[in-house]
Parts: sequence; C-alpha cells; structure tokens
Amino acid sequence: MEVKDIKIKGIPYDEFKDNDTLEKYVEELRANGVGIITGVLDDIINWGRSNSLWPLTFATSCCGIEFMAVGAARYDFARFGFEVTRNSPRQADVIIVAGTIVDKMAPVLKRLYDQMAEPKYVIAMGSCAISGGPFCNSYCVVNGVDEFLPVDVYVPGCPPKPEALLYGMMQLQRKVKMERFMFKDKEVKENE
Amino acid sequence: MENIKELILAKVPDAVIEDKQYLTVTVKPEDLRTLAKMLRYDEGFDYLIQLTGVDYGDSLGVVYLLTKSEDMAGCIVMKTATADKENPTLPTVSDMWEAANWNEREVYDYFGVIFINHPDMRHLFLTERWKGYPLRKDYDAGRDVNPLDLKSYDMSDTTVSYVSEGDGLKKIEKKLFEDDDYVVNIGPQHPATHGVLHFRTALEGEFIRKIDANCGYIHRGVEKLCEGLSYPQSLHFTDRLDYLCAHIYRHGLCMCVEKAAGIEVPERAEVIRTIMDELQRIDSHLIAWSCMCQDMSALTAFIYGMRDREKILDIFEETGGGRLIQNYNVIGGVMADIHPNFVQRVKAFIPVMRKGLKEYHQLYTGNIIARERMIGVGVMSKETAIAYGVTGPSARASGIHCDLRKITPYAAYDKVEFKEIIRTEGDSMARYMNRLDEIEESLHIIEQLIDNIPEGDFCAKTKAIIKLPEGEYFQRVEGGRGEWGVYILSKGDKTPYRMKFRSPCMTLVNAMDTISRGGKIADLITIGGSMDYIIPDIDR
Amino acid sequence: MDYAYFLVTLITAIVLVIGGLGLALLISPRSNNSQKREAYESGIPTRGTSWMQFRVGYYLYAILYLMFDVETVFLFPWAVVVRDLGISGLVSILFFLLILVLGLAYAWRKGVLEWK
Repeated sequence: MEVKDIKIKGIPYDEFKDNDTLEKYVEELRANGVGIITGVLDDIINWGRSNSLWPLTFATSCCGIEFMAVGAARYDFARFGFEVTRNSPRQADVIIVAGTIVDKMAPVLKRLYDQMAEPKYVIAMGSCAISGGPFCNSYCVVNGVDEFLPVDVYVPGCPPKPEALLYGMMQLQRKVKMERFMFKDKEVKENE
Repeated sequence: MENIKELILAKVPDAVIEDKQYLTVTVKPEDLRTLAKMLRYDEGFDYLIQLTGVDYGDSLGVVYLLTKSEDMAGCIVMKTATADKENPTLPTVSDMWEAANWNEREVYDYFGVIFINHPDMRHLFLTERWKGYPLRKDYDAGRDVNPLDLKSYDMSDTTVSYVSEGDGLKKIEKKLFEDDDYVVNIGPQHPATHGVLHFRTALEGEFIRKIDANCGYIHRGVEKLCEGLSYPQSLHFTDRLDYLCAHIYRHGLCMCVEKAAGIEVPERAEVIRTIMDELQRIDSHLIAWSCMCQDMSALTAFIYGMRDREKILDIFEETGGGRLIQNYNVIGGVMADIHPNFVQRVKAFIPVMRKGLKEYHQLYTGNIIARERMIGVGVMSKETAIAYGVTGPSARASGIHCDLRKITPYAAYDKVEFKEIIRTEGDSMARYMNRLDEIEESLHIIEQLIDNIPEGDFCAKTKAIIKLPEGEYFQRVEGGRGEWGVYILSKGDKTPYRMKFRSPCMTLVNAMDTISRGGKIADLITIGGSMDYIIPDIDR
Repeated sequence: MDYAYFLVTLITAIVLVIGGLGLALLISPRSNNSQKREAYESGIPTRGTSWMQFRVGYYLYAILYLMFDVETVFLFPWAVVVRDLGISGLVSILFFLLILVLGLAYAWRKGVLEWK
C-alpha cells in the first residue's frame, strides 16, 4: 500500500499538508528490511484498526476542553471511529495527551501508557504536550511528553482548534494504515 | 474604621497599622494568634479570603486578607513575618479558619515555613521528595536538583504535625488512614474529577469514611513564572488557570494593574468587558451543567449543553480570535474593537439560550432519578461554607450573599439590574439550580448592555513598559466558580515581586471531605459535579 | 422436537468464540511489562490488599438477584407452552409465583432492599 493510495474520509493525498514525514517513515522501514508490501490481509486488518482507534479519557488542562468539544456534536470524532473514549487504559488504543504534563503527573502518565495494550499510539495535543508550551521555563513542567513517551502525531496549538485535532487524528489513521500487522516480531521488548 | 484601630492597639500594642487599599495590620509572630482571635471572634471577620506567603528577602512573611460574611465589601489585611530563614516557623490559624489549612500547606510548599500546631503539615502541590522551596528568591530552578523521576512511589499514609516544646519543635506523626482501611484511588486520570485531582478515599462498602484530596498534578509554577515576566506578559497565564472563565480572570488581573498604575479604562471597554464576562459565565455554567449530567450518566445532556456552548464560542472567535483562550483583555481595555457582527450575533443568541434553558429543565431537572441523586446529597451548611472560604454559586446555594458583582461592583455591573440567586438548602440540587438560574441572570445583564455600548476608544493609551508603584495591591472579581483574587506586591519594577492568585476552586475541593463523608461513592461523583471545580485553578 | 435449530445455535456459538480468540492469538502483537500485570487504579499504585471483609449487603443483593433470575428462567418455558397447559398450568405457575412473592415481601419488610 503506497502512501498515495490512502484516503481517509475520501480526502486525497495532495490535500494533506504533511506527507513528507509519512513518506520518510515508510522509506526508513523499507531500508531496514521491514517489508512494507502488505498483503490483502494486512490491508483489511489495518482498515479495521485505523477506523476504530479508541482514545483514553486523559486530559489535564485547557486542551482537555477542546478534546471534549471534538467529542461533542459539532466536531464529532465518532465519525472517524474514535467513538467511545475508554476510561481504562487496557481498553484504549490511543492516548491523546491533552494538557501540560508536570513532574508529579509524569509517573502517572507513564504508568497509564505502560498499562495500555499493544498496539498503542500517542498523540501529543497542544503546545504544552509538545514542548512545555507557555510554561516551558517552569521548575516542574516536563518540556514535552516525548521526553518519555514515543509520540506518533504532534498537533500544535494553544489550544488547537477542533479541526486541527481532527486533522491530527486523520494523520494517525494514515500512519496506522501503513503498518505491517501480520507476523511482526513476536516479542516487543519495552522499557521497564 | 477608627474604632477597630483602637481595639487592635488595645489588644496588641506593638501592632503597626497602615491605611492602604485596605486597613493593614502588621504584627510579630507571637502576637498573631491574639490578633487573629480578636478579629475572628470579637469583630466577626469569619471569612479568610487569601493567605499569601512572601519572601521579603530578609524574612519570610504571610499576608492574610479577611472579611466578614455579613458584609463582604470591607476587608482587613493582617501581616506577619519571621526573620529566621533557616527554620522558619509561624503559628497556625487553621483552627480559626478552616480555609487556612490548605493555604498554610501551600506556604510550606513554596517557602518552607512550618506552622506550629497545624494538623497536617504536608506538601500540597510538590512531591514529597522535592528539594528546595521554589518561591524563595534564592531557589535554584535547575533540573539537576530535582530531576524528572518516572518511578511511581507508594504514597505515605502518615502526616506530621509540629508542636512547640520548650525552645524548639516536636514532630508528631499522625495516621491519615488506619492499616485496615480500604483505600481506593479516584483519579488523577478519571472522567469525573474534572481534571487531574486525586482523591484517596477510605471506603467501607459503598460508604465513604474519609477523603484525602491530593493536588499538584497540574502544578505548573505559574506564580514563580510571573515573577520573571512583565505585567502584559503575565496576563497570558490567567487565561490558562480557569480556562472556562478566561475572560473574567484576565479582567481581574487587568483591573488590578490598571488601578495600581492609575490607568483609566474607557467606558466602551468597560461595557465590552462586562458583556464578554457574562458570555463567559454562561459558557462556564453550560459546561458545568453538561459535565455534571454526564458524570451522572446523562450523556445526552452533555451533547445539548455543548451544542449551545458552540454558539458562544463562535461569537468569541469572531471578535477575539480564540475559542477557549481568547487573550482579549489587555491592560487599558480590550485588544481589538468588537466585530461589526457582534451585537447582532449576541442578540440572536439570547432567545436561543432561553429556549435551551427550558429544554435542559425538561430534559434533566424533573427526572426522578436526577432528583433522587441530587436532593439532600452533599449538604454544605452555611458554617462549613464560611469556614472553608467557599464562594460562588456553591456558597450562594448555602445561603451566603457573596456575589461580588453586587457587593463591590466593578466594570459596568453598577449600571445593570440583576438578581443574586440565593438558595438555602445547600445540597447538590440547590447548586445545580443556582447555575441554571445564573445563566438566566447573565442573559438579562447582556440584554441591558448590548444595545447601549458607548462609543469611544476600546483601549486606553498606556506606556510601553508598565511599572507599578511600590506597594501591595489586591483585586477581587466574581469568577464562574467563586471569588477570584489577585495580590501583587510591587517594588517599583516592571515585573512583580510577588504575584498570587486566590483560587476559588481550592476552597471547594477543601470542603469535599467534610460534605462527602457518610455518603456513597456515587454521591461523591454527584457532589463533585455540583461543586464544579477546575483543577488548574487550584494548582496554578 | 426439532433439535436441528439447537445444534446450529450451539455450533455457531462455539465457532464464533473459538474463531475470535484464535484469530487474536495468531495475529496480535506480544508485549509484556510489569505494569501490565498490576491492577489499574487511575495510574497510581494500589494500596494494601483487596482481601478484606466485605459488607454483607453485597451478598444479599446478589442472592436476591439470583433468585429472581432463576424465577424468570422458569417463566420463559411456561410462556412458550401456555396455551397447551390451560387453566391447570396457570394455577401451578401462580402458586410458584406466590411463593416467590412472599419471599420478596419478607425481604422488603426486613429492609433488605434499602442500602444501608
């Protein structure tokens, strides 16, 4: 499956602003010998997975309200399949880190991330989660959640408009569709 | 006020009394409790609004702002300081005002001051392993002193209390929870805690024996950050404290700086600010209603409330540029004039909101399950509310007259007619109904102002660099959840020496333990929803 | 008695369950860390043990539910063949219901239905 062939909600390849990151990701995987030639079965499974990513209800501050607005009636994310926000990390697929992460909250977030079941994704929403935001000079704010979590999509803004978050979710769906699912490495070692 | 000066000097001859913005009484730590007792019991100053710690350089001090619950307009300021910076101690006043309990823990957190006889001297916002006291002027904010630690530690079940013994202090350990208590963690990641609040709940079956609320999971150190920023820069943080009352908080800080610097705000800006404040209040109460109903499993109510809220956000976006964080008030007025469509859109919104209010009552208020869950649940008596310093719709549901828009009118509030919504039952139903009725009153205020926006400038001309004259400045505004306050201590520079924000939500969470005991867990969720706290406002 | 329908239902149930679990076993990624085996409590490590005395109210609630559930299980087959059984069937089922209603009335009077 080429990146060009993925259509989310019928939006063609050219309408997305950031195609380079995804193309680079695919090239890196190919170069390291991971087969990206996915078969029909992978396509079907990825189609199912990308259209049903359930986020964890996780919001620390202002971005949380925009996240709730995305879930409400006007900017419904249920149309994309992010239907139910699961409260337990064991049932969630994606964690949308909405809000500032401070030193006291970081172990809690790490624990929640560890308790999620594979395959799992992280969207860093808002400038606080990307790099500390307006509070980056503070004595107890983590400057970006990618200090300890692997982030898949960054959605900038303070707070990002709901349309921006939906765009970020669509990028994540494209990324999921590129993955190879069948017969991956059986053991995925994680940091303790 | 002459009377009270004589009384104070009679009780505490060493007191230094100054007539500043409010009557300020400075005493030595040994006389603090005498003065406090006199003010609390003899003079009736039973409301502790603010308790601020300050690092004066050579001493560490505390500033108390007190008022009376019968007359919340008049305030008095009590100050004390201790010169010992190695082991600073001050006497506690938490037996007189329950609100002082958490505020003194905050001062311990920030400055290291130990309050003698305080029942629970633990860190409030920072972790137990934090080294150093952040708001002291000589604090080293480097990451090597307090590195990021991703390990989860078990939380301790004991707390300490310091009593004076001879010349020094004796440390007494107390248990928070018994060994055989069943303690469950509700939050920080929980849909019903409205943010990251951690309740350690000791349960007996379904009944709650004790709640220990832990804050600090969104403590961003805003007050320390403000000390390094100029006044226009520090405005940006006020939007992010209680993001649902962004306009109102920003308005409060702007007013404080304007009054201190002597900047006069044009009338047009005052009226625009008032209309925006009231729209913001409606927005905040709508989310409060939506989330409260959602917590009680009425998801449809959430969708309805958010739908009407989107209309307000459209109005905000057109004029201010942002939906949630608008950055609209500036020192001297507002950042830009209102959009030409503003008046017409607001007038179109008012009947839509009235229809929405009727729908909400039809949808949820009369439902027998909702009534069973809310009536009689989480009763907060008037005394509890006063002791904890609760303000806002929650306090007005317990019968306290505390609407600052009526008591100390600011902006254009003295030009409009509106009712103060008071109920006396003090249960969750009263708090719920208060919010919906306040939406109606806000609509009434907007109706009176929207056609009469005076012509003129939307912003006064201010200097490029704003320096406040030396002194202390207080400001109180009516936020969506209660009284929000600012305290600025300025030494004449362009950055504040100390800036403190009085959090209304801290008082609400502080009172949760008292009013939830004996109820069920399901009631805890209802009470939390009806109290409607926003956590970044507590943690700053 | 046409047992073919019953057989079809049974086989479909078994196939769906085994198919679903088996497919997940085949294609799911494997990963393990110590946090995955711990109890979830909003991201905070749990305190103490869960082996403790529980209120007897939970047990009573469960027992009452069980009784009325079993009663419903007996009512369904009767409802299917009610016409064939006629009046005598009605009288017997009423007798059965009466005994259970007496039990409910006793529980009600004793205040078991309130959660105290």
